[in-house]
Amino acid sequence: MDVSHLFREMEAGTPVRVVLLSEASEDELGGISEIMGIGLSTEEMSRIRTHFISEGRDPTDVELEALGQAWSEHCCYKSSKYFMKRSFIGIKAPQTVIEGEDAGVVEFDDEHVYCVGLESHNHPSAIGPYGGSATGVGGIIRDVLCMGAQPIAVIDPLFFGPLDTPAEEVPEGINHPRFIYSGVVAGIRDYGNRIGIPTVAGMVNFHPGYTGNPLVNVGCVGIGRKENVIHSRVGGPGEVYILAGGRTGRDGIHGVTFASADLSAESEEKDRGSVQLGDPITKEPLIHSCLEANEKGLLRGMKDLGGGGLSCVSGEMALDGGAGAVIHLDRVPLKEEGLAPWEIWVSESQERMMVSVAPENVDAVLHMFRKWDVEAVVIGEVVEGKRVKALWHGRTILDLDLEFFTAGPEYCRIFESRKVDRDIPDPGIGPLPREKLEDALLSILSSPNICSKEDVFRVYDHEVRGRTVIKPYAGMPFSPGPSDAAVIKPLEDSYKGIVITADVNPYFCELDPYRGTLSAMEESVRNLVSTGAYPHSVTDCLNFGNPEKPDRLGDFERACTAIGEFARHFTLPVVSGNVSLYNESEIGKVPPTPTIMMVGLIDDIRSATTPDLKEKGNIIYLVGRTRNEMGGTAFFRYMGVECSCVPDVDLELSGKCMDAILEMNGEGLLFSVHDLSEGGLAAAISEMCIGGGLGADINIRRVGSMSEDEGEPMDVNEKLFSESNSRYLIEVPPQYALKVEDCLSRKGAPYTKLGTVLGDSLRITDGETILMDVPVSDLDYAWRNGLRKLMEGS
Amino acid sequence: MFTVEVKVGLKKGVSDPEGANTLKSLELLGYDEVKSVKSLKVYRMEIDAPSREEASERVEEMCRRILTNPVIHTHEIVFL
Amino acid sequence: MKADEVKVCVLRMEGTNCEQETFDAFRRLGADPEFVHLKQLEGRDTLAGENRSLDDYQILMFPGGFSAGDYVRAGAIFAARMKASSGRDLARFIDEGKAVGGFCNGFQIMVELGILPAFDSAMSEHPEAVLHANDSGRFECRPTLLKHVNRGKCAWTGKLEENEIRLIPSAHAEGKFMLPAERERGLYERLFDEDRIVFRYSDPSGDVEAPYPYNPNGSKFNIAGITNDGGNVFGLMPHPERVFFRNTHPDWYRRRVGPEEGDGRKIFESVLEYVMKRF
Repeated sequence: MDVSHLFREMEAGTPVRVVLLSEASEDELGGISEIMGIGLSTEEMSRIRTHFISEGRDPTDVELEALGQAWSEHCCYKSSKYFMKRSFIGIKAPQTVIEGEDAGVVEFDDEHVYCVGLESHNHPSAIGPYGGSATGVGGIIRDVLCMGAQPIAVIDPLFFGPLDTPAEEVPEGINHPRFIYSGVVAGIRDYGNRIGIPTVAGMVNFHPGYTGNPLVNVGCVGIGRKENVIHSRVGGPGEVYILAGGRTGRDGIHGVTFASADLSAESEEKDRGSVQLGDPITKEPLIHSCLEANEKGLLRGMKDLGGGGLSCVSGEMALDGGAGAVIHLDRVPLKEEGLAPWEIWVSESQERMMVSVAPENVDAVLHMFRKWDVEAVVIGEVVEGKRVKALWHGRTILDLDLEFFTAGPEYCRIFESRKVDRDIPDPGIGPLPREKLEDALLSILSSPNICSKEDVFRVYDHEVRGRTVIKPYAGMPFSPGPSDAAVIKPLEDSYKGIVITADVNPYFCELDPYRGTLSAMEESVRNLVSTGAYPHSVTDCLNFGNPEKPDRLGDFERACTAIGEFARHFTLPVVSGNVSLYNESEIGKVPPTPTIMMVGLIDDIRSATTPDLKEKGNIIYLVGRTRNEMGGTAFFRYMGVECSCVPDVDLELSGKCMDAILEMNGEGLLFSVHDLSEGGLAAAISEMCIGGGLGADINIRRVGSMSEDEGEPMDVNEKLFSESNSRYLIEVPPQYALKVEDCLSRKGAPYTKLGTVLGDSLRITDGETILMDVPVSDLDYAWRNGLRKLMEGS
Repeated sequence: MFTVEVKVGLKKGVSDPEGANTLKSLELLGYDEVKSVKSLKVYRMEIDAPSREEASERVEEMCRRILTNPVIHTHEIVFL
Repeated sequence: MKADEVKVCVLRMEGTNCEQETFDAFRRLGADPEFVHLKQLEGRDTLAGENRSLDDYQILMFPGGFSAGDYVRAGAIFAARMKASSGRDLARFIDEGKAVGGFCNGFQIMVELGILPAFDSAMSEHPEAVLHANDSGRFECRPTLLKHVNRGKCAWTGKLEENEIRLIPSAHAEGKFMLPAERERGLYERLFDEDRIVFRYSDPSGDVEAPYPYNPNGSKFNIAGITNDGGNVFGLMPHPERVFFRNTHPDWYRRRVGPEEGDGRKIFESVLEYVMKRF
């Protein structure tokens, strides 16, 4: 459609066009949106037209671009807000300090807060894995920084297609999972390491559903003094806006509108311009200078320029501070000549920070930036009223009512929750004989989602800052097993620790988004509790498909509901989060992926526990209840059994087990603790053996029969490989056995005594029957080399 | 004004993991025909000097002072 | 001198990022550390009162990180700027017997500056060694065991026993210590003969020829850290500042009882003691 007649030059010499919405037909409105690449629907365009008619004029291209950005899914959550508000936003918890700004702020102790954020960087990472993931890290670090906190840890849950996907199954225009995986890891490595923030946790998950659309989620935790917490808003009229950091360029133009549409075959070539490029060496001094200026009390407000650029930031900061703003676009330092004003206004170039400063402090702030060689320029003023204006050499080229600009549409689109068949089929495999069980265990240990990710975590500096107490791996220094969560000791003069984990099992969520999401929440809790920490706050990153398709939105609705139910039950505030929709390609949608990042606190890091077995002769107990709910488990996947009865969560039981473990750990009764997740009991005990370099002799006869009303006794496959939630393995010295059993009974947490730490092989029996007897060195080899084999396999 | 390219490479026998890894990535993308990759760093500069000789001398000095480490690097100066 | 009179200059520029740990290590021992931006030595963009001179300090630290992003080459930009603005002061600082240390990127900077190995003077005109890309081609963040092989020359390890093994973690992509191939033999001999090798990567049994992963980068003779002829200048690839306390060791929780002291602490104590005795 030719709509060129609807664009008119504003005036000679000003590179701005007026868009004649008032003269456009409905069809032409859509055409304008399309040709400008702003991603607004015809209805939204029509709403904009009505607004400008009421103002008695037509908008400029700068104004339309600004609205396209502000009203994108990415910026205003128009499809998702309704469900989140209904389910989990605003859970009242005493520890919450700030909810709903760039990052959540939560009380750490009387004088300190911690700050937490989690974001997706999915589409950019699909197109440019290296730059995409690096900017993801940069963005989330800025989100934490701009609350006035020192970033102390980076966490990155990553989701890729299988590394051995045949090339012909990868959709055209999409990179091969191996290429994306390598690039993403390298991007996080180079960026995170260079800015000196340790990458301490995360997950690397593989599922065919990510082949067309990988997910790159990045989280960050920071620490700050209460009095240094700074809001993402101006203090009031009269203040001055200073833009600091990197220069503005064409990188990242239309980044948010790009994030709000499905990936297509042309994406790789066409959308390269939407991927921003990071520069850690501008960032690192930017962190120093912003924190220093803030500590000296020189700043009134601070906000990072992430998705949404100058446009969103100058508007939102002003509106939230009850004021308006005037920005001089011609003063913005540029990477290259010739950017049009609209490009400057919406560019998402990285490493930029906006601060609002009282006039008397401007010189001091500018000096602070100069000292660190950070470019900083006064670009505008905070004014009375509720409008944002952009000027170009004195000409007003944008003049928007802030309420209209930032309100954005909010939809409750049609959604359809699927019916999940939770019947348990007879898998028809019967109990496996010994050699088959051993094979199954070794295969599961070496499978991509369970095997060691050491090759990934060793390229991240997880120890810089010298405060990482529990690292991604635990056990013998040169042959560690996995740890459950990372522990950071953030303060010099306190032993109190921050414990971080990120979890989700896409195989569960794919089959049953509700139970899958509950399981993700519960797994996060277990990881914290295993480490000795009590859960304290939740941050989520909800990665789903196209919300305009009712079944996708139905999955989203189920996940939100599950988060809400779980969080309310434990009064866990959801302090920040991010939604990423439109994760689809021509081979379909990604599995529903509600990534949960949970922060726990531990009063004394010296009481933290790890999964590695510590001492021969100690007793091993299983805490929790094992059920026959094998849908989506590693074992059923290995056997090729389809079943959608994925593990459920019993909130009461979850709480009882959590309380018991925390109490026993606080009293120093537990030498090691490991939660049961993928691969069930068999995988968990193997991991404990691997980390400690010790064997175990356990009998699983009584597993699964802890209460009378459970019905059918379970077969060995289920006992060994069920992935029921709320379960832990604990290692207890014999002299504490009575105390432990007493505590578990008192708390109402079911338990089974399994056996002892012994020898150098893992021996599992069921009554009199020997199920397996595998040397720990074989378990170790299978687990440690799984990923390496896959990478070197072709 | 002279436009000069300084190419910094590794001496023979010095390991080149960047080259080796790039080769591996190219193979991942299906470029089986690539048989070897060596990494080189190129700096292109515009130099305001009265003569080619003087420009060349200055660039040599830059190489000694910052652009190379003589223990492992070779360099080549090319006038465009 | 008393500990609290010992002034430590923790030098930084954009991209250095282990300065806080380094600062904390000295402060915990009662010394008087100060962050100094390279610009404060250069006198660029500074206000009155912000300029500093090396003469004010007894210990100079080059912290780890990625100074100037490691662009051009790890440590090269920091070294070239430092040499241009304060090269002479630095040579004098070393000749006076004051202590200079660098870990990881700090070691790379010192080699680029020519203050290590410094075969023939306090500061060679050009680098005489290099810390080249790890053989694995990757960044390696992993525990490493260091055998203290110094026989008494190095002021930074005076409180360590000869041949004792300490766990000091590594985190670098370019740590392979190399000397010029054409003169390699004689130079390695000199390092050994002159007691200039301080730490070698080792396995738990003390084997200093142990391969990867014990030797994380492929350094010849498993060399991890060296000192100059005077023993007052010390560079090390691994990070002692990260294991000042036991609770950042990779396996502290496997043995609940024991001292809180980490394996890195003695290095800071040693140099502090050296300075307190000498000045």
